[in-house]
Amino acid sequence: MFTRFLSEKPLQLPRLRPYVPRPSDPSIFWFNSERKDIVDEVTRRICADHQQDRSRLEIALNDAAYHEIRRLERQRDEEARDRLGYWRSMIRRIGKMNDAEQRRVLNTIVAGMARDVAGNFDPRVYGFARKVVPKMIGAVMEPSKLAEELLSTAPTALDRVLLVEGDIEHIRALQPEGSLVFVPTHSSNLDSIVLSHALEVSGLPPVIYGAGKNLFTNPIISFFMHNLGAYRVDRRIQVRLYKDVLTTFSQVMIERGYHSLFFPGGTRSRSGMIERQVKLGLLGSAVQAFTSNRVRRVDRPVWFVPTTINYGLVLEAETLIKDWLTEEGKARYIIEDDEFSRIDRWIAFFRKVVGMRGACIIRFGEPIDPFGNRVDPEGRSLSPAGTPIDAGGYVEHRGRPVIDPTRDAAYTRALGEVLSERYEHDTILMSTQVVAHVLYRHLVQAAPELDLFSRLRLRGEISVERSALQVELGHTHDRLLELQKKGKVRVSEMVRDDSPEQLLDHALAFWNGYHTSAAASVHAGHITVSDPALILYYQNRLVPFAEDIADEDDLPAARQIARMGLHP
Amino acid sequence: MKLRVGVIGSGSFGRAIAVAAERNEQDTLLWSRGDLTMPGAIRTTTKLADLRERELIFIAVPAPHVSDLATELGKEVDGRHQIVHVSRGLVGPELKPITSVFAERTACRRLGALAGPLVADALAQGRPGGAIIGTAFPELANLVRTAIGGPALRIYESEDVVGVQFASATVGLLTVMIGFAQARGTDPGTLAVLATRGMVEVSRIGEGFGAERSTFMGLSGLGDLVAAVAGDERPEFRFGQALEAGASLQEAVEQVGAHVEGADVGRHLILHAERLGIETPISSIFRAVLDGEMTTEEAITALMQRPIGKE
Repeated sequence: MFTRFLSEKPLQLPRLRPYVPRPSDPSIFWFNSERKDIVDEVTRRICADHQQDRSRLEIALNDAAYHEIRRLERQRDEEARDRLGYWRSMIRRIGKMNDAEQRRVLNTIVAGMARDVAGNFDPRVYGFARKVVPKMIGAVMEPSKLAEELLSTAPTALDRVLLVEGDIEHIRALQPEGSLVFVPTHSSNLDSIVLSHALEVSGLPPVIYGAGKNLFTNPIISFFMHNLGAYRVDRRIQVRLYKDVLTTFSQVMIERGYHSLFFPGGTRSRSGMIERQVKLGLLGSAVQAFTSNRVRRVDRPVWFVPTTINYGLVLEAETLIKDWLTEEGKARYIIEDDEFSRIDRWIAFFRKVVGMRGACIIRFGEPIDPFGNRVDPEGRSLSPAGTPIDAGGYVEHRGRPVIDPTRDAAYTRALGEVLSERYEHDTILMSTQVVAHVLYRHLVQAAPELDLFSRLRLRGEISVERSALQVELGHTHDRLLELQKKGKVRVSEMVRDDSPEQLLDHALAFWNGYHTSAAASVHAGHITVSDPALILYYQNRLVPFAEDIADEDDLPAARQIARMGLHP
Repeated sequence: MKLRVGVIGSGSFGRAIAVAAERNEQDTLLWSRGDLTMPGAIRTTTKLADLRERELIFIAVPAPHVSDLATELGKEVDGRHQIVHVSRGLVGPELKPITSVFAERTACRRLGALAGPLVADALAQGRPGGAIIGTAFPELANLVRTAIGGPALRIYESEDVVGVQFASATVGLLTVMIGFAQARGTDPGTLAVLATRGMVEVSRIGEGFGAERSTFMGLSGLGDLVAAVAGDERPEFRFGQALEAGASLQEAVEQVGAHVEGADVGRHLILHAERLGIETPISSIFRAVLDGEMTTEEAITALMQRPIGKE
């Protein structure tokens, strides 16, 4: 009951007087004063879109009732007891309603959904979160330094673990002129937390983002999520209108200049591979926000910042790869019982990474416009030849800017392809991933005739002499550095500077002691692949580069690995 | 309002497109490397900068020249321009679709590929025919119809941009094979098996690049192959015949006297498939014949003895 209460009515701090934003405040500080207006605008647009055509309206209502009845019947919980009656009664009445009644019901449903989605922004919570949360995480990492962490103004343990890269000045220069949309890779539920911190320490603006409603069931996370501008996404709801509400909400926010964050992959990468398929819904909302502003002659461009979040150790690695490997898991969009929901795993994770410099690296890539063009610090789109061009030309038809959803959907698909290329270009390869790749290549070489699943059953059966592995790791390392010189890959500072021996030691140290089963273990001068699935998870980041970093002898195995990228 | 049409390339296809656009009373500008006189109201230019004011630009140059052209054109065009190409090639060993080259080297995004059994002479003379445009942008397909379509030219549309270009390019390889086999006196039934199974084979490779198999069975694939075999004077067909007569690759190209897109594409395609382990028995055996590793008789025997499965 409390869980439901939290997910529907998250906690807010009382306030006697509304906060009046200052001109220098980031755009999100205006959210509460515009919240009602935004909810009304979302409702108005969706209703207007359906009111032209009675059959479309009727289909939308039937779809909503059908999917909600199915969901609630499956849920059989308190919400089901409250709402099932409403939907069952409605589905019987839809056909008998006149136009006005149907429109009124649509308005009620959509407005309710929009209110549920819209978050809250409390500057006090924001101020607290930016100052105290990193220190609290630092204290979890190093409990012996609790007092020091809380009182000191020096960088926290989190700052030592987290490195931020990229042309921050460039992004900072753009923020007052338009809407920034950060589009990161997604590996862990920690992503939005570390990314928010990275934005803060880089002097970049806070952003609004969608968070799964399941995250609102933890009272602490719910409190912060809700009061820091997160809007709630209930992934259990399959209703078409709900998806329209989410994308329209995102579009309206971006049109109004709210900087945003969404994960184009839609969900955490289960396989550990760099995202190659992106979901187009929210991405499309940003493209349409650009068009809509142009058509209304509002000079507020939209820019995307492709961002990669790179971990040496992933909190939920074991659950994610297990999920990817089971057919059942492929359909499990929401995982509620993974490491993210267990505080003991958080503590184990943070304590493990505290001594690891650069355990998480966030790289902000070069900003692009909705059409994949680079953007200069003045916000001008640049052609591949480097000439400034008017991005408005993309939404013109025979000289006039026009709304054309089909055209914008095509632009969105093309933007998705650009993003996946940028992710590959901006992903930073970490020591655990490089070592895992070399070990996994051994596994493939040892059993070339086996399929993926048979290979993963070889727990503890494949061992390599440590000295031989180091030699091989050295070759792979050299090839990676050559590719880095050519601008084809990026490696972490650790991978760049460490010897193969150190790389191997670091990877083993990262894995052992955090994951419940060791990924690899050392016995009598041999390294044994103890958990092939975990090794697979970490090595999967290198799939696009497998052929380029293999020696001649390793090429057949590398090709087998590369082929996994063709059918993710 | 007249559509401002630009055409780049003054070969038979470029000129035919310009003539068709002028026949549709569009404002037409043809770019060529040297001075050229065209009939009617078609204007000509040698400066790419003159294309800036065009709304729709047709590209009719062979695939090997596309990259350089795209780089130069990239200095003149932006997001307002819509581009469609008519090349039957793919670029480089990585088999890049031509629309991708334009997306990389210019700021244009509304791109498409015009393919299928479109014959330059028929287009210029307004004889009945059909074609397909592969584009993600219906507005581009409509502009192309406005520019050159009409009662004598039916232009279908497909969203499978990659598929249309792969099908169109791989028809070249199959045409070379069929030209070769026909010159060898192969029975029509055998030619039909070669064409049909060959199309399945190349569609398997195309799928790896994101193409849809069904596209290969449409106008840009099987439709175009029928036109090639029926005798639309495709250089690839003559190239295959020349090879059968014992000419080396270089000699065959010289005998044909035109660029043979299918020869370049074929070699890269086979290497790509072999690297990825995609099963392409017909293409691989054909390559072995060209490289002198097998006689034609051995090739036919090898193909006929392969295990048979469901279609």
